[in-house]
Amino acid sequence: MDVLLFGMVAEKAGAISIDLEAGSLVELRRKLELSIPGLERLSYVIAVDRKVVLNDRALTGSEEIAVLPPFAGG
Amino acid sequence: MSTGTQHRKRDIFVEGAIPSSFIAESIAKHATRTDIGAHEIFLGQVRADAMDATGEGTTVQTVSAIEYTAYRDMANEQMITIREEAFTRWPEMTCLHVHHSQGVIKAGELCFMVFASAPHRRQAREAVAYVTDEVKKRLPIFGREILSDTTHIWKRNT
Repeated sequence: MDVLLFGMVAEKAGAISIDLEAGSLVELRRKLELSIPGLERLSYVIAVDRKVVLNDRALTGSEEIAVLPPFAGG
Repeated sequence: MSTGTQHRKRDIFVEGAIPSSFIAESIAKHATRTDIGAHEIFLGQVRADAMDATGEGTTVQTVSAIEYTAYRDMANEQMITIREEAFTRWPEMTCLHVHHSQGVIKAGELCFMVFASAPHRRQAREAVAYVTDEVKKRLPIFGREILSDTTHIWKRNT
């Protein structure tokens, strides 16, 4: 699945998206942190279908997934 | 998703700074709505904060601009929810307009506007305070603070 990256996470990855396969959010976090050096030291949340999801959940691969660093609007 | 006239989906993002003429025009557009008795406006301006970029207290740089990016689809969806919350809490509010900049905004320029109109000042004032806080908390907007020496740090709302 194509995972959207924003802000300092996109900067760390050097890309605005990354292609990863994961069956759950926990697995996705693990794969993200293996693929993006230094990500584990950043504060970030994951949005599934444009809503922040804090607990683990299963992923089918058809969701819109995004990795979001701290918000800074205003 | 609600499709009522007060809740219709719209894109809050504008490219670049919000010009003061845009704010004047926004006010002028309400002249025909004579049921309105109060406008309340919050404007966010990019501040030239002094930043210790190294964390050692030796090099202090000032913020010369902020480059805003956003997860636009999610931000606009979140804004619909916040808008609906505001109209539920302050049902007498006549209208609510929110705009946020994308791209590079220099210190001293405007990057954020929350504009509420109501028959009386209390609803407009409370709604603007609420919406301003919720936008800062809940919209996935990211700010790269560009410092005077061209290095940068990432802004975060506290």
